[in-house]
Amino acid sequence: MDRAAGQGPTETGGPAAVTGNGRLGDRRPSSRLSSQSPPQLNWGSALTGDDEDDGPPQDLRSRPLPMSQRRALWQEQQKKVPVVSKGESWRRKNAKLLREGKEALKEILYFFSPWRKALQLIGGESWTRSAVFLFAMRSVGKKRTFVLLIAGFVLVPSIVFRGSEGTGFPNLTVLLECMNYNPNPQGLVPFYTYILDVLLGTGFVELSYLFYGFYENTVVEDRNFYNIPLAYLLTAAFYFAFCLICIVVRLGYAARVAVATGGQTGGEYSMIAFAGWDYGSLGDKETKLKQKNILYRLQVDLEEERLKNQAAALTLKQKVFLYSLRVLLLFLALGLIAAALFGIFQATQFSQKMSGREGIVGLLIQYLPSIVITAGNFVVPLLCDQIALLERYSPSVTIILALMRAVVLRLVGLGVLLFTLWTQVTCGGNPEEDDCRLCQYNYKLYQCWETRVGQEMYKLTVFDLLIAVATLVLVEFPRRMVVDHSSNALVQKLGRQEFVIPSNVLVLVYGQTVVWTGALFCPLLPLINTVKFIILFYCKKITLFHNCRPALRTFRSTTSTFFFLVVLLFGWGLATTVMVYSVTAIHPSMSCGPFRFFDNMWLIVPATLYSLSDTSRDFLFFIGSQAFSIPLFILLCVVLCYFIALASVYGKTVRLLRTQLKL
Amino acid sequence: MGNKQSIFTAQQLDAYQDCTYFTRKEILRLFYRYRDLAPQLVPLDYTRPDVKLPYELIGSMPELKDNPFRQRIAEVFSEDGQGNMTLDDFLDMFSVLSEMAPRDLKAYYAFKIYADFNNDDFICKSDLEKTLNKLTRNELTEDEVRMVCEKVIDEADLDNDGRLSLEDFQHMIVRAPEFLSTFHIRI
Repeated sequence: MDRAAGQGPTETGGPAAVTGNGRLGDRRPSSRLSSQSPPQLNWGSALTGDDEDDGPPQDLRSRPLPMSQRRALWQEQQKKVPVVSKGESWRRKNAKLLREGKEALKEILYFFSPWRKALQLIGGESWTRSAVFLFAMRSVGKKRTFVLLIAGFVLVPSIVFRGSEGTGFPNLTVLLECMNYNPNPQGLVPFYTYILDVLLGTGFVELSYLFYGFYENTVVEDRNFYNIPLAYLLTAAFYFAFCLICIVVRLGYAARVAVATGGQTGGEYSMIAFAGWDYGSLGDKETKLKQKNILYRLQVDLEEERLKNQAAALTLKQKVFLYSLRVLLLFLALGLIAAALFGIFQATQFSQKMSGREGIVGLLIQYLPSIVITAGNFVVPLLCDQIALLERYSPSVTIILALMRAVVLRLVGLGVLLFTLWTQVTCGGNPEEDDCRLCQYNYKLYQCWETRVGQEMYKLTVFDLLIAVATLVLVEFPRRMVVDHSSNALVQKLGRQEFVIPSNVLVLVYGQTVVWTGALFCPLLPLINTVKFIILFYCKKITLFHNCRPALRTFRSTTSTFFFLVVLLFGWGLATTVMVYSVTAIHPSMSCGPFRFFDNMWLIVPATLYSLSDTSRDFLFFIGSQAFSIPLFILLCVVLCYFIALASVYGKTVRLLRTQLKL
Repeated sequence: MGNKQSIFTAQQLDAYQDCTYFTRKEILRLFYRYRDLAPQLVPLDYTRPDVKLPYELIGSMPELKDNPFRQRIAEVFSEDGQGNMTLDDFLDMFSVLSEMAPRDLKAYYAFKIYADFNNDDFICKSDLEKTLNKLTRNELTEDEVRMVCEKVIDEADLDNDGRLSLEDFQHMIVRAPEFLSTFHIRI
């Protein structure tokens, strides 16, 4: 029996060596041994059961033997009393205790994990084992961190030190007009104003810790020096940095998988055939769906192959016609997107100008940007789908194109909304305009512009949630009722709502971007978003199980994770641009907020720096100076080049090995 | 994890713990699942370890009853090759299909499940065709089945003998990161 030196079972368990000839462990008495030397499995250490560092357990259970043989081996191992040193036996005892501890922990977690039951059900319905729910949970985790940060560093001190003297730098030339800010409604109000206030973030909600405007610019000067404005700014900056690191780390994992497997080239069919069936699927309906799914995937792949062959066989005239048609349709799609963006622009301007109206009409006007954005994000992809039918790309390209259009629409739409808001606040960036001359921002419309921006983000989030719940109740339930109970052929063809994973993930990414943008102006928005995600999770779960059927078109999970993380990164970039611009270029409101006496929010940092002791100040200046940052930058470039070289070497090795294997 | 149970002796439980990927509590849970399939056949205190449950009972478990490969799975893991399983086989099966089993072990058993329709330790074209038909509920046309089989053998066959050996299969599985999560039954 072969005993390859140093080929004992590894920590990860499982034998790794597979050499040329031998036979499979025969379990079935009826299996014939083929005469043409089938491969042998070299399972490492022999039946004599030598003591590995991992101990016998790892060794035995990763061997593909029938259970009775394994137990016989185990008996033999137990009979042998190994001569071990004290240290060895102490280590063994520790390992055993550790194992038992882990088991106990597993049992506890089994009962206490709140997502476990949901996940078990969802995991059984394997077609939902997708980025959606993992993504939602991860986002929840990230937001919980931020909420804790905010609570600790900003909220609690604000509550504690409320009313202390604000020792900002009172600028004596500040005009009283700019300081006029009183969002409290005067006199008697109808009761429904409170509901409207919750929906719009005005009134009593506005004057709460939810929005920027309520925070004071207290700087506690006595022995516990605590500078609230600085804490506010630094917490926000830290949150952004933390999110960036999280995204980049996960991108790294996804990229690593992509490089190691050399992309998806080759092996699609065998992958579907052998790794495609999910053994965890439960239920007859689910199994049928999964089978249809696999059928569809195979047919799509065959179709792509056929189209590729066809495309290669087109005549020149046909090619020219097809390409010009595609260019035309591309412009059409871009035109549709531009129209939607223009609509958002107009809606935002209109809504901001008419912000004084009361009642239901006022509510509708306030929500107009959200309504237009949601409607655009619903209608435009539908139309683009119809266009895509004419473009006749291969199915995978079509899916990617549709996703990219949807992403562009969402992110640029949000960008347009923010741009419109900012132009209005800063009067088009021109501080000499009539409205802006006095206070450097449009104080006529916005007594406290940061709160107003925060309110817009708040409204977007709330509207998102309302629409999701409303769709569930008003569209998907009735649709399922109709489909189940009517035998009309047309209705049956329409079928139940398809649960399309990519668009659901996009909605989550969009929500996350909104939260990031609003984090500076509405500090408790991440908390609201956490609650929203939890509600959405349970709503979507209900929808999934009762109302929907799974989408036939699937998206490969490895590439899709990478893609959605890149989109998330773009959203983060947008939010950071917005934050940087607001912090550095716009004059904070003079009537509210912790930065009311500064020319812009960033100035608190230099001001604090100058008040530090000499050594710390010198140290910080040194870090910021060129003598330090340029060598640091060069070092980072070198490290980056190293990693790029490493990745390319690995990629080349993979390709080389693959060609060698093929030969 | 006390010694309060009276089904297994301590040594038996230790043996099962070392020979499968389950903890003590999970092994007991599985024993109760096994017993629930035929309470009159399986004694409560494991005095007859050679009790075999017929395949029909195993195949009626909710985790397996809709799986198109359930018969092959039961045959691969049973000692007599007919699908009738003792408790040992039962534990073995779910241990390999659990999430802690390593990839090579799973690949070995997956190969046996897909391969031995005709008992030759290889995956040949007819095995593949049967697999594909089970995967798609016989809805692919013959042409399509033939094309897909050709493509699969093309992609995975490294020694160019027209059929897939365990080596080929394992090399292909290495490139499929989702194999670990699909070849998994949660119990």
